[in-house]
Order: sequence, then C-alpha cells, then structure tokens
Amino acid sequence: MPGKHSDSATSELCEKCKENISILVVRAKPICHDCFARYVHTKAIKRLESFRVNFAASPDQQRKILLPLSHGVSSTTLLHILDLHLNTQRSKTNRTGFAISVLVVDEGSLDPARLDKVRERYANHDYASLPLHDVFRLLPDDASLRAFLPESQVQEVCSTQEQLTSLIASLTSATARADVLTTLRTRLIVEHAKQTGCESILWGDSTTRLAEKTLAETAKGRGFSLPWQISDGKSPFDINFHYPLRDVLKKELFSYVDLAEPALSALVYEPQSGATQASMSSKNTTIDDLMKQYFESVEENFPSIVSNVVRTTGKLEVPTGATSNPRCSLCGMPVPDGRFGIHGWGGDQHGGADDAAAVSGGSLCYGCTRSIPQRGTAVASK
Amino acid sequence: MPPSPCALCHTNRALILRPKDHSKLCKACFITVFETEIHHTITTNALFTRGERIAIGASGGKDSTVLASVLKTLNERYDYGLDLVLLSIDEGIKGYRDDSLETVKRNAEQYGMDLTILGYDELYGWTMDQVVEQVGKKGNCTYCGVFRRQALDRGAARLGVKHVVTGHNADDVAETVLMNLLRGDLPRLSRTTSIITSTPSASSDPASNTNIKRSKPLKYAYEKEIVLYAHHKSLDYFSTECIYSPEAFRGSARALIKNLERVRPSAILDVVRSGEDMAKLVPGSDEGCGGTCSSNIPVAEEEEGGCGSANGRTVGGDMANMEKQLAQNDTAADQNLEVEITSKKINGAGMPLATGKKGKKGFTPRKSTKQVMGQCKICGYLSSQDVCKACVLLGGLNKARPKNKIEIGYEVQDLQQRDQGADGVANALQRTSIGGD
Repeated sequence: MPGKHSDSATSELCEKCKENISILVVRAKPICHDCFARYVHTKAIKRLESFRVNFAASPDQQRKILLPLSHGVSSTTLLHILDLHLNTQRSKTNRTGFAISVLVVDEGSLDPARLDKVRERYANHDYASLPLHDVFRLLPDDASLRAFLPESQVQEVCSTQEQLTSLIASLTSATARADVLTTLRTRLIVEHAKQTGCESILWGDSTTRLAEKTLAETAKGRGFSLPWQISDGKSPFDINFHYPLRDVLKKELFSYVDLAEPALSALVYEPQSGATQASMSSKNTTIDDLMKQYFESVEENFPSIVSNVVRTTGKLEVPTGATSNPRCSLCGMPVPDGRFGIHGWGGDQHGGADDAAAVSGGSLCYGCTRSIPQRGTAVASK
Repeated sequence: MPPSPCALCHTNRALILRPKDHSKLCKACFITVFETEIHHTITTNALFTRGERIAIGASGGKDSTVLASVLKTLNERYDYGLDLVLLSIDEGIKGYRDDSLETVKRNAEQYGMDLTILGYDELYGWTMDQVVEQVGKKGNCTYCGVFRRQALDRGAARLGVKHVVTGHNADDVAETVLMNLLRGDLPRLSRTTSIITSTPSASSDPASNTNIKRSKPLKYAYEKEIVLYAHHKSLDYFSTECIYSPEAFRGSARALIKNLERVRPSAILDVVRSGEDMAKLVPGSDEGCGGTCSSNIPVAEEEEGGCGSANGRTVGGDMANMEKQLAQNDTAADQNLEVEITSKKINGAGMPLATGKKGKKGFTPRKSTKQVMGQCKICGYLSSQDVCKACVLLGGLNKARPKNKIEIGYEVQDLQQRDQGADGVANALQRTSIGGD
C-alpha cells in the first residue's frame, strides 16, 4: 500500500531540494523525507487558511472544530498534522487559530486502549467517545428516524441499542447495511458537533476516499447530493464541512504514517484491508467495497485520474435555493423538487398502482429508498 | 426445492430470474413486462407523435434487433400510428458488416419494414477496409466513430425522416456516466443522460442535415434483459465483434458497471438516475428537468454505440494518456507551490511551515467555455468548428491518396440534394432486391 520506495542501490537526489537522498517516489518524482513531510503538511494546511490565527479576536473567543477519528490512516494523519500545526502556532504567536475536539464513534468493536494512546500523544485536545446508537438520542426529530424501525419495534419502548440492532437487522443486503450505518454515523457526528458548539467538521477524507465516495454515491442513486458530500464549505446541516486532505492520495498517507517520527503505526488500526480482499463473494461485497478496490487499483497507475474525479465533482454546483428543498428523513440531504422515493422518474417502469404508495411512502431520497425496505402497508395505515 | 411459480401470473413455472430486480417470471410474463416497460418509457417521455416517420438505426446486433421488434409490436398493439423504416450504415468491412447486413435484410423481411443501406464509400469515398490500409489498425476506430455519427443523420435526411431511434440501453448510459466522471467531462453528462437529443438547426430548410431528433427507447432496459428477450422470442441477430478492434477490451467503466450490477441489481438504473440528477448540477447547463423536457440538447458529440458494443469504448491506452496529461497539469500547478515553498525557506530557515505569509493561492483552472454550434463550411453538417471533424479526417485521408477515383458529391443545392436522395434510395432498393435473389 505505501508508495514506491526507491531502490537504495540506485539512490537519486530529491527532485525538490536537490540535496538529500530520495526515499520515496511521489507522483513520479523522487523525494526525500523532509520534503515529503512538507508536501503533505502543505497540502493539508493550505486548505485551512480560513482557520488562521485571528488576532482581532480575544483569546477566549476560540473557534472550535470537530475531528471525527476512526483510528484509520487518514483521520490519524490529519490529527497529527493539525496537532503539529497548532503547536507551531502556539510557539510563534502564543495562541491558536482554533481548538480541536476529537470524536470517536463506537460501533461495537472499539478498543478503549486505542483512544488512550491517542489522547496520551496529543494531549491538548478534547476527546469524546460515543456509541453509534446514540444517534437516536441526539437527533431532535428522532421520530422521523424511528419510522424506519421494523414493525414489531414501533410499539415497544426499547433502548437505543436495541433500536439500532433491529434496524440494521431488517435491511436485506450488505450494501444497504453499510449505507445506513454510514448515514447514521454522519448524523451522529453532525449532532455532536452542533451540541458541543463546533463551527466546522474536519473530515479526514483523502483524494482517493472522495473519489470512491463520488462513484459509490452515484451508483446508489444519490447523484443529486454530490455537491454537498464532496465540496468544502456549507453542508445541509448548518455546519461547515472541510476535507483538508482532499489533495493527498491514500497511498501517500500510508507512506506518511510509516515515515513520521515517531511512526504513527502504533495509533493506526485498519481492520478492513484483509477483510475486503477476503470477501469477494457478491453476497458480502458492498458498493463501497467495490469502489474502494477500483480506486486503489487506479491510484497505483493513474493517480491524476483520481484527482481529476474529485476536481470534476467539485465543480458541480448546488442549485440556487436548494437549502429550502424538503429533506430526506434519513440522510438529511435536500431533495430537488421533493422527488422522494424511487418512483416518478423516467426510469421508473411501474404504473399508477405504486403512486399511492409513493405518496404515503414518507420522505426518503432515491438512494435511501433503495436501502430501506418498503413498508407500504404499515406506512399507509398511519 | 420445488420449482417456484411465476411471480406475476402464479400459474406457470418460473423460468427466468429477471436481471433488473431478481423477480422470478415465466416466459410469457417476462416478454409482456419487458414490452410494457418500453411502452411506459415511450409514453411518459412522449418520444413519438402520431403519423411520425421513424428510422431505426439497425446494425444487426441484439440492441437494434430487439428495438425494431419491440417497436413493431408496440406500434401495432397500442396504435402509435408510426411509419417505421430501417436505416443501416455499411462501413465497408468485409467479413463483418456484410454478414451483419444480411441479418438486417432478413429482419426487414420479417418485420415488413423498408430498409435503406448507406455505405461509407457512398458518403465519404472511403470504406473502412481502405481506411485501415491507410492508417493501420490503431486509431481507425476514431475515423469510424466520427463517420458513423454523421452518417445516420445524413441518411435520415435523405429519407426525409426527422426522428432516428437507436438501441442504447441502460448499461450503455450508465457506463457513459461513469466514464464522464472518470474523464472529468461534465458538459457531456447532460447530453448522454437525455433520452431525446436533437441536432440544432441554423437553417429552417426541411431537407437539411439538421433538425433530426434522436431518441433511445431502450434507455432504461438492461442489457441482459435485451438478450433474454431476443432469446425467448427467437429473434435473428448478429453477434460477431468488429474485426478491426480486436484489441478493444472491456474498459474500466464497463467492468465496473458489471460488478456493480452483481452487488446490487438496481445499481445500473441508480447510476442512470444519478447521471440525470448531476446533469442539472453542471454549471452553465440549461435548467432541464432530468433531460425529459430538454429536447433540444445538441447531439453532436454524443457517443454512438459503435462497433462491438459489448466491448468498452475505452482503449487500453486512454487512461495512460489522460494520466500523462493530468500529471503535466499537476506539475504546472505545483510550480506555483514550489515557488511558494522556496520563498518560505528563505524567510523562515528551518521552520517547516511559515504562518501568515501565504503567497499565491494556487493554480485556478479557467472555467470551460460553452460550445457554440454552427455549420461546416464544406458539407453543411453541424459543427462547432469551421470544418467538421469528418471533413478534417477526410482531408487527411485524401491527401495521402495517389489519385481520387471517386469524387464526393457535397449537397450544396436543394435540387442536387433531392437528386442525391432519390439516387440513394434507388441504390438501396437495388441492393435489397439483389440480396433477395
């Protein structure tokens, strides 16, 4: 996975500084250790110019941002870079441009010792850990989420953990389960950021991850939401989204993890790489897995194409007045013209019988309707 | 496990697992559902009007054969009132196109439709066999694709037909959406996802090469279902691939589409839906509603389902070439960053990052300009340049030719146009009758 290391027998000079011996080939250029670190730092910090030190503000008016940490390569690297950046700001100007709040979402397999190690190494930030099922507790309009629970669960009063378990169990495919889990995780992170007073969320998505997301959401029928999901700036949730690592490839981050001093490997936990290759049967493979495999192979030989996909999608514009469109109850995206459900467009081949179900089917966007099973009878009875 | 009954009629035994939604159907119900869905696509998008004359782009392959069969069936069943004709383009490839055209001739007899065959040599003075002799096998697909795009419109104009239907299916459209994302081609997204496109006209001349509608009635039909339909109706179609593109293999987008379909059957339609939604998000695009209302989107650069539609339209070197070009763009952008880094190094020696000394913001690419459609100076066909691409390629071919045995008759005047049209039809009829012997 790391970038190609140059052969020590035929070492050549770093192409940037012309002084040190190169240890890595980045985008077809040999580069040394220091220049590579500077390369990654520059790419990330360049994206955060709006978070520079605000000398006009008083020290107690500190801006707060949230960093969701999954213990993967990308979010761990982002935390490392931001920590370094804040230390530099503090040592030069005796204050920082923002404060970091780190959130770890527990989906059942979280090892608390991992978070302790991170906290120990980057001690100057707030840390929180929340279970995923807290999304049912935090969302103010949780009634709309509860509507997707299976029939038997609606009547009873049960814990948020049981609600989450039964919701996921009612989904019929691995892609649907992965899709809903991702959506709920995003909602949880957003709600936590709002309630803790953060003005922005810094996601650790690399170029490769954003390209994967572009094609995965396209394949799930959420093309309309791509401007919200890929671009820096406003999100549909009244909070800003930023992707500081959007110009760095995933393989470059893997190299960075190995080369940082001390190495970040002890903090990183990437469980999926083995599991992804093992489960090649179509039963367990998800659309996200497929796109991940695809772009990891494209990235090896054609890294500029990966960048180009992200750049292209970044050009898509949110239509004027889009924020006033009705929202999907699950993912929260504004649906153009309120076209909910999978009916009522050119590709829908069924006649009027389903129109009644579509009207009473609630307010899910096309992509979420593909994941959540239809409950026409139950929904119509409400 | 006992055989399950059909999900629709609950009487017959289910023999077909439907690719689109994995429902189990018997043969009769599958055929009915397939045809009804095409009918639904035609009516909801208002593709046809009563009394309209429609040319079906027929290649002898499965898509156009199924299209012709379904349109004939629906035209009779629902009384569209259409006049259907078959229009074939003969690229002049021995051993491939002449065999597939035999299939089209048989189809014309079976369906009772008029058939017109136009050859590249008739339109351009060159057959693909001759082009390959001249330029070799590499790159000849470019000539064929450019010629074919124009040929269908010029053939329709000769017949006086204002509407051409093609056999593009959902897999083709979804593949094109993904390819355009991978290539970074946003303006093309709108064109490829629209079910109706047309060649805008600078003149109101009814006999000109413009003002011809194109539509794709099979846009929401899966390729696998088209094959199943052809099989269960015992349709006669030709399935050999083009002999001049043996190196064409499944492109990235094609393989990706097939993998997606395996993971989730609806993914192909989901990609088509996303493509339609994204087309409205492209900056500078006309505010159409999913391409349904916009019937005047220019067709000029729409990709045809070319020879060997089962193969990807991406040749192996495309991604490498694009990578090289994009890498150069990135290098140019990096020059700015490099200058910035150097200046920082001078100011703050040893500091990894200087604060508050940001120089240039970086490389800002210019917005792509919109294409303006005009007419080719030489042949009068639609073109955004002075001379259309086919004439440019033709000029290159003719320069290398020792002497011109066949002169291309350009249709400059109305009278000449009508004469050409009449001659074309007569020649086609002769060819048909010869084939009948």
